[in-house]
Amino acid sequence: MKLAYYPGCVAQESGKELDMATRWVARALQIELVEFPSFSCCGSGFMDEANEVLNVALNARNLAIAERAGLDLLTICSTCQGMLSLANLRLTDPKVRTRVEGALKPLGIDYRGTTKVKHLLEVMTKDIGVEAIRAKVRRPLTGLKVGAFYGCHLLRPADELKSESAEEPHSFEDLLTALGATPILYRGRVMCCGFPIQFVNPAAASRIGGHQIADAKAHGADAMATPCPLCHISLDAYQNKAEAAVGHALDMPIFHLPQVVGLALGATPEELGLPRHLVPTEPALARIGVQVPA
Amino acid sequence: MPGDVVSAQFDVYRFDPAKDAKPRFQTYTLNLAPHTPLLSALLQIRAEQDPTLTLRYSCRSAICGSCAMRVNSKSRLACETQIGPEIAENGRIVVEPMRNQPVLRDLVVDQEPFWRQYDLIQPHLILDPAKPMPEGRETSMTTEEVERFKETPRCIACAACYSACPAVSADPGFPGPMALAKLYRFVVDPRDTAHQDRLLRIQPGGLWTCLRCHLCTEACPKDVRPSERIRDLKEMAIAVQGATERGSKHAVGFKNNIRDRGVLSEAALVRQTSGVAGMIGQLGQGVRIYRKKPEILKKPHPIEGLDEVRKIYDALDTKEAPP
Repeated sequence: MKLAYYPGCVAQESGKELDMATRWVARALQIELVEFPSFSCCGSGFMDEANEVLNVALNARNLAIAERAGLDLLTICSTCQGMLSLANLRLTDPKVRTRVEGALKPLGIDYRGTTKVKHLLEVMTKDIGVEAIRAKVRRPLTGLKVGAFYGCHLLRPADELKSESAEEPHSFEDLLTALGATPILYRGRVMCCGFPIQFVNPAAASRIGGHQIADAKAHGADAMATPCPLCHISLDAYQNKAEAAVGHALDMPIFHLPQVVGLALGATPEELGLPRHLVPTEPALARIGVQVPA
Repeated sequence: MPGDVVSAQFDVYRFDPAKDAKPRFQTYTLNLAPHTPLLSALLQIRAEQDPTLTLRYSCRSAICGSCAMRVNSKSRLACETQIGPEIAENGRIVVEPMRNQPVLRDLVVDQEPFWRQYDLIQPHLILDPAKPMPEGRETSMTTEEVERFKETPRCIACAACYSACPAVSADPGFPGPMALAKLYRFVVDPRDTAHQDRLLRIQPGGLWTCLRCHLCTEACPKDVRPSERIRDLKEMAIAVQGATERGSKHAVGFKNNIRDRGVLSEAALVRQTSGVAGMIGQLGQGVRIYRKKPEILKKPHPIEGLDEVRKIYDALDTKEAPP
């Protein structure tokens, strides 16, 4: 399988461990990642608020790059997935399309609208399939209770994104089961992490993030896992703020999606960038018998 | 299939603040056809098993907006939620009152916070006294003017969106999806003369706490799509006022940030949103993150084809009247 790899900004910067884990898992699953140094940022939902048409046009350019190469586009971020998918949809509005074409045509960019945008979660659960992944498991995550945390833009608006379900998805839980882990069902798994207002209304953001982590913990999760590096920032890097907001310790290791897959497929914590997390992952690793040298 | 019956378990939230120290769940079981609306099931429970079960309802046809409640954690109208899919998905039906409004009894909430936010946006036409409405005849609108309302006139004020909104839970000062969708409806109304004032008034604390999580759009039984109209309001507010709030600074700062290199420079964005003082305030957190992730201070390499990106900005990022 060959896909245009769209890592997104965070995985190339502070969330580099997500890029490391994605590359490891892609090799293990024989996904060829074709790189395009010309991809620009998806806009992350923020640019959309400042200038919707500009954001659609920039993403049309990204989509056109994959289209010219004849490849579907692989995202590893719920927000990139949402913004690029919505660009495809908004381009079907003739008014938007006319303005976007007015900007792209003079640059010789002609996007025909054929690029499919796929998140790694979808590629693993639909295209490869959980059974094929189960067959590759070398270190089953037996005994590890994991709360999946989807990220809003992977799910909603469900009618526009054609996502599996707005409020009751199960692909991530199916994958966790195939890896040998025990998925934890809790309401917070489809809720917001608080990230979009981390710099705008930090108190509210931390209450929201803290609420979801506390919910997972109350339902027995040893760790959480997310397909979105922005959720990861909120839940891992800002977990100290979330703890202050909810008034008690959370101590919740937060994995990126390909990190849990990589662990089950036999990668070392270092290969997956786990030492880069702010909340130590060792307690979760100990449950699956992975010792980390001090 | 006609004749099909499922055994449906209902775990219903019960609470009478006058008598109960804390809420509890009570379980009822009924054999029902899968297409039975939840509201019919609850009324059957009340008629046959427990006359004390308290709920609010009226039309039973998804018009009055009275029977919004939480069904397996989702804010929904009970009258248009069929029990079959809920049982299939969850094995039982957990019924709870709406969130973000105090419980009066069982499934009935006090909607005062919801209506207070609605009142605050001045949900009526504000007219210029110098230009009164024509007397004795209707004002006409062009098709294009009517289209700008989008789906907002469909709202039945059921408060399902308000119940679903995590921003309201975290910050009760946030107006919530319904009030903001209504605000949008007046901002685009060609008869209203207070468009700019409305946008200026709503901004401090009122607009930028929206998380664009789209839970309101999923909860809405009338497809009003509040989250999408809040996005529109944000873009209009920036067009009217520029980037004056933290939220608008973040959105505009983000947009300008991408013009520089084509990808995000994380540290620069913090400066653009929070200013130097704000950066100092976040220094402790920044150092904590930097120790594990030194890339936060690294400026990323500009992308290939940055000139194309900049030309797209030149073509589309022009200052112009609000859409």
